Amino acid sequence: MIGLTSLAQAAYPEPMAGATLAHYLAVSAIMFVLGLIGFLTRRNLIIMFLCTELMFQAAGIALVAFGRYHLNFHGQTFVVFILTVAAAEAAMALALIVLLFRRKESLDARSWEDLKG
Amino acid sequence: MLDGLAHMLVTLGDGGALSSGIARAAAGADLIKLVPAITLGATAMCGVFAAMKVKSKLPAWFSVASLAACFGVVLAVFLGHDGTPRVAHAFDWINFSWTISENRASVTHDLVSNFAFYVDSLTLLWMLFVTGLAALIALYASEYMSHDVGAGYCRFFAAFNLFVFSMSCLVMGDNLLLTFLGWEGVGLCSYLLIGYYYTKDSAVAAGKKAFIMNRIGDLGFVLGLMSTYVAFGTLEYDRLFDLIGRGVDGAGQPITGTWVVQVIPFLFAIGAFGKSAQIFFYVWLPDAMEGPTPVSALIHAATMVTAGVFLIARLYPLFAADDAKLALSFVAWSGALTALWAATIEMAIFDIKRVMGYSTISQLGFMFAGLGLLTPTGAAYHTFTHAFFKATLFLGVGAVMHGFGGQLDLRRLSGVAWMRGFGLVGVAMLIGSINLSGVPGTAGFFSKDMILAQGFTTPGTTIWGAQAVGWILLVTAGMTAYYTFRTYFRVYVGPKEFTPGEDAHAHDDHHGHGHKEDFDPTTAEFDPHPPGAPMKVAIGLGMALTLLAAIPYFMGGHAARGEHAAPGGWVGGMVAHSSAAYNTPHEGFSFLGLTSHAAMYFISAGVGAVGLLIAAYLHGPKGWQGLWIGNRTEAATSRADALVPLLGRVVTFARNKWYVDEIYDFLIVKPLWVLSHVLYFIDQWVVDGLVNLFGAAPGMTGKAIRPTQNGELHGYAAWMAGGLAVVLLVVILVAT
Amino acid sequence: MLLAALILIPLLFGVLIAFAPDGRARTLAGLGTTLPLLLGAYVATTFDWTTGERMQLGPMEPAAWMKPLGITLSLGVDSVALLLVLLTLLLGPICVAASATAITTRVRTYYAWLLVLQAAMTGVFCARDLIVFYICFEFTLIPMFVLISLWGSTNRKKAAIKFFLFTFTGSVIALAGLVYVAWYATTTSGGKFAGWTFDIGVLESAARTMSAKQQAFVLLALMAGFAVKVPLFPVHTWLPLAHTEAPTAGSVILAGVLLKLGTYALYRFVLPFVPLAVVEYAPLIALLSIVGILYGGLVCWVQTDVKKLVAYSSVAHLGFCILGMFALNNTGLTGSILYMINHGLSTGALFLLIGMVYERHHTRSMKELGGLAKRMPVWATFMVFFVMASVGLPGLNGFVSEFLCLLGAFQASSAWGSGVWHSLGVQKGATPGDLGPWFAAVAGTGMIVAAMYLLIMVGRVVWGKLVLPHGHGADNHGHGHDVPAADSHATESTGGLPPDLTKREILTLLPLAALCLALGLYPKPVLMALQGPVSRTVSMYDEMLRNPRPGPAVEKSAAAERGAP
Repeated sequence: MIGLTSLAQAAYPEPMAGATLAHYLAVSAIMFVLGLIGFLTRRNLIIMFLCTELMFQAAGIALVAFGRYHLNFHGQTFVVFILTVAAAEAAMALALIVLLFRRKESLDARSWEDLKG
Repeated sequence: MLDGLAHMLVTLGDGGALSSGIARAAAGADLIKLVPAITLGATAMCGVFAAMKVKSKLPAWFSVASLAACFGVVLAVFLGHDGTPRVAHAFDWINFSWTISENRASVTHDLVSNFAFYVDSLTLLWMLFVTGLAALIALYASEYMSHDVGAGYCRFFAAFNLFVFSMSCLVMGDNLLLTFLGWEGVGLCSYLLIGYYYTKDSAVAAGKKAFIMNRIGDLGFVLGLMSTYVAFGTLEYDRLFDLIGRGVDGAGQPITGTWVVQVIPFLFAIGAFGKSAQIFFYVWLPDAMEGPTPVSALIHAATMVTAGVFLIARLYPLFAADDAKLALSFVAWSGALTALWAATIEMAIFDIKRVMGYSTISQLGFMFAGLGLLTPTGAAYHTFTHAFFKATLFLGVGAVMHGFGGQLDLRRLSGVAWMRGFGLVGVAMLIGSINLSGVPGTAGFFSKDMILAQGFTTPGTTIWGAQAVGWILLVTAGMTAYYTFRTYFRVYVGPKEFTPGEDAHAHDDHHGHGHKEDFDPTTAEFDPHPPGAPMKVAIGLGMALTLLAAIPYFMGGHAARGEHAAPGGWVGGMVAHSSAAYNTPHEGFSFLGLTSHAAMYFISAGVGAVGLLIAAYLHGPKGWQGLWIGNRTEAATSRADALVPLLGRVVTFARNKWYVDEIYDFLIVKPLWVLSHVLYFIDQWVVDGLVNLFGAAPGMTGKAIRPTQNGELHGYAAWMAGGLAVVLLVVILVAT
Repeated sequence: MLLAALILIPLLFGVLIAFAPDGRARTLAGLGTTLPLLLGAYVATTFDWTTGERMQLGPMEPAAWMKPLGITLSLGVDSVALLLVLLTLLLGPICVAASATAITTRVRTYYAWLLVLQAAMTGVFCARDLIVFYICFEFTLIPMFVLISLWGSTNRKKAAIKFFLFTFTGSVIALAGLVYVAWYATTTSGGKFAGWTFDIGVLESAARTMSAKQQAFVLLALMAGFAVKVPLFPVHTWLPLAHTEAPTAGSVILAGVLLKLGTYALYRFVLPFVPLAVVEYAPLIALLSIVGILYGGLVCWVQTDVKKLVAYSSVAHLGFCILGMFALNNTGLTGSILYMINHGLSTGALFLLIGMVYERHHTRSMKELGGLAKRMPVWATFMVFFVMASVGLPGLNGFVSEFLCLLGAFQASSAWGSGVWHSLGVQKGATPGDLGPWFAAVAGTGMIVAAMYLLIMVGRVVWGKLVLPHGHGADNHGHGHDVPAADSHATESTGGLPPDLTKREILTLLPLAALCLALGLYPKPVLMALQGPVSRTVSMYDEMLRNPRPGPAVEKSAAAERGAP
């Protein structure tokens, strides 16, 4: 294990030369909060969906940053999965949104409140 | 079939082990097993008749024959009986044993109560009149119940036979539990027969009341029975009497002065009071007159109601074992007060059948007083004579009911004895009445005398207030003569006059012959319907037996204990050889140089004569039938009516039975009824309410937080964000 | 193998019926209940009644089921269990016969579940393994739930759910208690973990070594489950509802067997497992049962629904049963076990009778029914007979058990011979214990109350003027008229049935009546057969109560013992 780690690190530049972990996390946090605010304030389903994507990516940045910080690939591995899932999800969600739009000719989230069951 | 049954019983008896100390019963006593076998078989046959839809008098004749056979069996056993108690074992009933190691020693306990019959002379005395009268009254009923030939007829005789079966278990049981079986069994039959006319609400209610009142007493019996088992470790009479005779309980410790003799007799006394309609419990018996008259005659006059007397007589050793005689004093006082109480009611009411009912309560009071006054012989003899004369009186009343469309109001009947076909009834009523009121020379006179005199003989130090009991009984004897002849003078002699009863809608709900429901008493020509041959034969025989019942008084009794010959003649001898044997205190009183019994002959005769003459004066018709002192000229009114305003509300109160039913209803029934409703309310809303609350809790929680699920996407998101914030806050706070 | 057959035959027939055509269902059900009954009769002859305390008829080598957990498919019965098995088997054909005309919809489903239910009930009594017992015990809920919710009357859904949830909640707690005992047994045998075992016999001896406090908790857990089933006051409220709403056969099984699962479990687990706690809490449980007797009785009094009345009467009756059981002496326990059987017979029959009237007139209300003796004399005869058995008339079965239960409670006092009951020493017929005459006296008033409510019911329904719902065939011609048997009016209002009982119905009732009479007049064989297992249990208690071990649990009885010179 140790050997493998050192091998991987060997090919990389000096760890965290300029920007520190805190910077990456700050960016990630800002993106997440932006996404959250967007999600909570906007009513358009597509915008809301984009906001969730924003939060996703915020999490991805944090993960990659941590992976780099700890000198392993765990973070990146996660992100690869997240991207894959996000892609699939985007396809599904947009398809759903299209269907919903066809039903009510509207993209307003409030018009679907009766789905509460 | 009967032979087969008998054979079966005998074989069973041979198979079962006889655990008692008494030698194997002689073949003679074994014969007694036939009585329950025959009666039970007859019950079953009546059921078969019902199933076969027999529409003839077959059940009646079958019953009469089987009951007569029973009487024959009892007579045969009686003639072969040598005075020693025997046990005839039929088969094991509740009989099991277990071994427990007590202090490292194995001890075997048992609970033995078999279908085994304890045959001593007390048993035989009772069985003789029970089976004899049952046969007689079945004969009477064959005609009396003939309006109901068919299913009702079968039902009547099935219950009738079952009654005799139960009564024989009660009287002959060799253990308390079998006695209890009979005890409850007669209660059941009484219930079924009182409610015989089941479409009538009052009859159904009366049956129910009888059963429930009896059950209250039965609780006393059961508790007494269980106490007996705890104390003596046995329920069998021979083992029990052996232990009591030695004055020890089952563990060998002396019982004198312990709860065994102080508490147990009271419990049994309560049981006896229930069945014999004594103080507190008497209210069911007058209502029981709703039943057909043969039932009243047999069950509610002659036999079942004397079961309480029998129970105390049977357990007399236990009652007498208490030196302080607390329970017996209680019995004496209860009996005397009941006698007086019932007599006051009888003097006021107009229903001749109910007069007989109350008179039975009153006479039972005499018997209980006799037991309490330490003369079980007197009590037994009075039971014996009372069975005959009261049955005769009831049969006579039944004949009147049968003949006059159920009319029972003594203001609407007069001179019945002079009507065509009712002569025998008149004579029977006269004979019954002179016995009941204690006219000298009659059986009733002698038997009552034995009890009355004992009141003044038994020392007050033994039985608390014995003299006072004696005085109460003496006064009651006078009242008895009055109310008995009040009825006699009003109904049976005097000008011929009657109003027919409402027939189908009257007391017995029975339909006279030839005039069914469409009969209207106000318009139709009514012809009194005199009793037919079976009824006449039964009345005649009852009358004859009543007269003959005086003879045993003069038959030589055997010398029982000590040098005195047992008083009370033949009955005294019977009692002296049974569990009820008691060395009754003799002379303690003299009057004008006469012994108490001899003096009492004159005193009670005098008191009776006064009562009779008052009755004649107040109710007697003009002329010789009213002994030349009466002046009644019509059925409805008499001199006594003038007394009513003088006495004021007392009469009203007495007519309403002193409102005891109402008081019970108000004090016991109503509160319990309310309590039941409250409990049901609690059950539904509190007990079950808690359960429902528990069950509803998850649902209610869900309901409480449901509004958060409003379907608004942003709401959910806000909740999530908020949740995230809380988590973060916690993490930060905990981390720093 | 015989016992396994008793369980498997109805189970197989149940499955078979599920796939058979509708028309064959009844025949198959009849066969599937009659065969076990015949086999049961044979089992009864092979059983050695003289050593009733021994578990018999089980396979020699218990078949391992889930070996790592020590769960084995082991069966066996002592005389108590066998008697209850026989009761179950007897009620099987009777229930099938009673459903002949009452069940017209989804016939296959009905009989299939009925047979499965019977298999489960038989399994409960035959199980020698705790888990097998528990599985069968709980499994009875499912068929019963289905029977009530599909074929019940108006309020059936609620009744079924309540029945299921109430008893299920209780028995889950009981399971916790039982598993605790098993865990305790595995961890304490020889000081190290010896593998799980659920053999009841093994657990029994292990459980007794628990401390008084542990036993108290186990008692609480077990009572939570089994007292609900019995049902003991105050956890009885599911019963009236379930009884009232269930179809006739369901009520019969409910009263006849399902309630006995609770009492049987008390006998099988509570008494042998946690003696210290039982001794300590017996007066409390007895008190609850007495409250049940009187409370149930008085509530019966104000019922207008006949079926509900009989249901509440079960609460009162089972009170006697529990009272006798916790008297912890031979008479009481014998009476209690006999009570289980007798109650099954007489109350089962009462439910059958009520069902027969319900089938004809579609009402159970005493306000709408009256004077049926006129119209249904045969029915009325049976009704009075079984009511008398239920009231406890001597000569019929109810009395024997009721009397023994009362006597047991009456005797069971260490205070006999001292205090109020002063005498020179302990009485011959007294047994050590903490109940005594007051318990019996108060419970005895239940006899009076029982007479009251049952006779009031009989007075309204059987006697009196004929009353039928909606005035159908009502006797308006004044009394004295018999309603003609083949009244066209009558057949129309009785759902195709004749006014009085049919031959089939009479044959359904006759065996029960015969047994009531037989057990009332000659209970000796049963009483003797019960002495083995009863003595086995009682002797332990007797010893304990006479020579109390030091400890808080038995201090009270020790004090009472010292009080007696």
